[in-house]
Amino acid sequence: MIPPTQGFGVAVLALVAVLGFGAFAYRAWKLYRYLRLGWNEDRTQQLGKRLKDELVIYLLQRKLLKRPYYVRGLAHAFIFWGFIVITLGTTDLLLSGLVGLRMPGAESALFVWAVDIFAALVLAAIILALARRLFFKPPRMHIALDGYIILGLIATLMVSLLIFENAGLAAGYLAIHQATPPLAQLVPLAWGGAAGAVFAAAWWVHVVTVLGFAAYLPQSKHLHIVTTLPNVFFRSQRPRGALRFVDKIEEQETFGAATLRDLSWKQHLDGYTCTECGRCSDNCPALATGKPLDPQKIVLDLRDLLLKEGDLLLKDGAATGTPPAHQLASKPEELWACTTCAACVEQCPVTIEHIDKIVDMRRYLVMQEAAAPPEAQRAMTNIERAGNPWGEAASTRGDWAQGLGVPTLAEKPDAEYLYFVGCAASFDRRNQRVAQALAKILQAAGTSFAILATEETCNGDPARRMGNEYLWQLQAQQNIDTFGRYTVRKIIASCPHCFNTIANEYPQLGGRYEVVHALQLVQDLIADRRITLGAGPVESVAYHDPCYLGRHNGIYEDPRAVLDAIDGVRRMEIEPHHRERGFCCGAGGGRMWMEEKVGQRVNHRRVEQILAAGDAKGERPAKVASGCPFCLIMLDEGVGAKGIQEELKPVDVLELVAARLQSEGVMRSNSSSA
Amino acid sequence: MKVAPDGTSVVTEGITWSISPYDEYAIELALEHKDTAADTVVSVISVGGPRTKDALRQALAMGCDDATLVTGDGADALGPLGIANALKSAVDDLKPDLVLCGKQASDDDQGFVGPALAEALGWPHVAHVTRLDVRPGPASPVPGEPQSVEIWKETEGGHEVWKASGPAVLTVQKSAKDPRYPSLPGIMKAKKKEIPERPVAGVDDPVRIEIVKLEPPPGRGGGKIFKDGDTKAHAAELAKLLRDEAKVL
Repeated sequence: MIPPTQGFGVAVLALVAVLGFGAFAYRAWKLYRYLRLGWNEDRTQQLGKRLKDELVIYLLQRKLLKRPYYVRGLAHAFIFWGFIVITLGTTDLLLSGLVGLRMPGAESALFVWAVDIFAALVLAAIILALARRLFFKPPRMHIALDGYIILGLIATLMVSLLIFENAGLAAGYLAIHQATPPLAQLVPLAWGGAAGAVFAAAWWVHVVTVLGFAAYLPQSKHLHIVTTLPNVFFRSQRPRGALRFVDKIEEQETFGAATLRDLSWKQHLDGYTCTECGRCSDNCPALATGKPLDPQKIVLDLRDLLLKEGDLLLKDGAATGTPPAHQLASKPEELWACTTCAACVEQCPVTIEHIDKIVDMRRYLVMQEAAAPPEAQRAMTNIERAGNPWGEAASTRGDWAQGLGVPTLAEKPDAEYLYFVGCAASFDRRNQRVAQALAKILQAAGTSFAILATEETCNGDPARRMGNEYLWQLQAQQNIDTFGRYTVRKIIASCPHCFNTIANEYPQLGGRYEVVHALQLVQDLIADRRITLGAGPVESVAYHDPCYLGRHNGIYEDPRAVLDAIDGVRRMEIEPHHRERGFCCGAGGGRMWMEEKVGQRVNHRRVEQILAAGDAKGERPAKVASGCPFCLIMLDEGVGAKGIQEELKPVDVLELVAARLQSEGVMRSNSSSA
Repeated sequence: MKVAPDGTSVVTEGITWSISPYDEYAIELALEHKDTAADTVVSVISVGGPRTKDALRQALAMGCDDATLVTGDGADALGPLGIANALKSAVDDLKPDLVLCGKQASDDDQGFVGPALAEALGWPHVAHVTRLDVRPGPASPVPGEPQSVEIWKETEGGHEVWKASGPAVLTVQKSAKDPRYPSLPGIMKAKKKEIPERPVAGVDDPVRIEIVKLEPPPGRGGGKIFKDGDTKAHAAELAKLLRDEAKVL
């Protein structure tokens, strides 16, 4: 279309453009300066992977298309793709209006059709979105005026676009070589003599709205359309289960997030990028059971604190402002309620990293202020003194293996695998049976393995999750030194927390090993026929995904394959809360050692979900199997509290396997011949 | 806990040493007092070898202002009177208003050093202390006399509240809160602090206690549950067992 900017129209357009983009630039520059208050974290590793993530997550909208948000995600995807196309169209409009140039390809049928079709799709999606907010509001959507303004602006843009195309056609303003906008023709061209005026009016409305939108953008959460691009590109490429390492910790002057300057620029960018969609809150087990923690609120509170104190910190280099853990509205209780289950991180479509912020603030509370909940402090003291959070005598660490013929590394230094037992299986009565089951399986398979017994000490995971980075480093270094003395290369862990920290976090201190979770190994043993499982009774067994096996490490299939290989076991899924949507047992994040004083216990909610999933299928499971000692303890407590311990028995998958081992070869001594 | 082959001591290999819990309460009580009266100076003292120095650093990390170690050959082997006298030498130098000790050590449970130290110093001693309250009021005109401090001593079903007219030794049962976990800045500062040493040589150690025999308690057998039969039959059976097996009737 020939733009109606003849004569002084160009000057007016230029002025409006300068105002619009100028306002955008002014505010954006301010936000950028606030962002630079954060410390300079290096996020340039693995450029190839970063590009791939950008393509898949940003361009293909992958993280939006997750159940149960699939349809809404698709609607957004169309708005997003539509916006890319329409932005090209807008650029074309401004170029032609200001300097009379067209974008290359702007007159082609492909482009014209694309603009029209997407304009219509976007408009339809906007209407749906408006209807949802007005009539079918989802419980945890954080709806503010901002959202309505944005939807209104976009709707105005789409409507004005279709009108000026329609009126332009009627007025004969179509340029000779330009293809005809298809949809604009569908509505009868009934403007009569006013077509030209209507065209001009709609065109100006469109362009001024775009430039007004540009000015409004950095004041609203809609800024995410700009910030998501870098936010996805610079997302953490650490393994999800690995927290950030603090180098030279003894030389630091402050610890954890003592000020906004102690959060990195990327963490501040997360705040700008939050679209307030609420998917994180929707899936948080703490919020679901009435705790004060709301992951979305944590992100937005940090953003609000930055916007509030940014000027103060910029003006005065020495100013520290409010410590983030004591920020505007948040209290430490919110931070302590987190189980680090990563449901929030899994669901966030714009790759915000909630857990890192919570742990950074915990680090401040624990290491700087020594202000952890008293039970958490006791667990840390126990790790320091007894090498396990329960405070059990370290000298009894190997007692679970008495009489089983399991050698220690000291007795068998050439063992192929180290079985890192972990504190739970070493000291907790119930979980000792799981370690014994694994030992039985490994011996039946003839796997060459040994344990450390009293030379093993807590891997430090609970301390690290609770924010005691220093204690974790001490514990980790101790184990790494021991592993070094025996030149350990391969490690089996029956606990996902041991597995996660040794595999993903020990490399931060130079400890690199081939680490495998027991269920991964057992799946291999079954597939390679190193063990054979006998027949058994039919029983329905629900599988509970441990967070540190599933969401943190992507291990969903191996435990299920093991269950499926056991004759008679009918595996049941705890729908819809399974796999990536699995619901935490409540013990992660160091919460195993903290009291739950508010709301419903997370593990009780989980037991209810298991029963409900069974009821939905018409049959409650007889057992619930998982691959984690914490999950086992929490599920045990849950069924006990509900008085159903005879109807629903929590077990570890390893126990089910061990019970079906074909009897010959069981309990023979460790043979190093395959 | 394992008894050593000599039958008179405990195996100490592989043990993690830590400050005795009642001593931790004493430190915490002192620090709680310091929280409310900021000009309080909390000094921590002990007697022993290098291991004891680590314990002092832990106390410094918790927030104590300074530490002194009485050490030298034989410091770990002093008898209880010797320990009291060694501590007295440090107390004489520091001239505190109050001395707090744990009411007993968690390894030998003797509960001796506190009262012995009071005797050596010629000071009064209050036992089972759980609370210190600073009372507002005019500072004492007599130099060296402590500010008005109320000392709460736990008794059966209640408390006694004491006031000291001069310096005193308190043995501590408990503090208001759990002993505080040291902050990392506290730990780092404590690592760098100097801990002056006083010689243990020449300290009067007149009495040694010699352990003649150390043995673990006898293992407990299982209990017996009477299931079948009625109450009368159970009673008769119980009486028979108490007389013939347990031999208490």
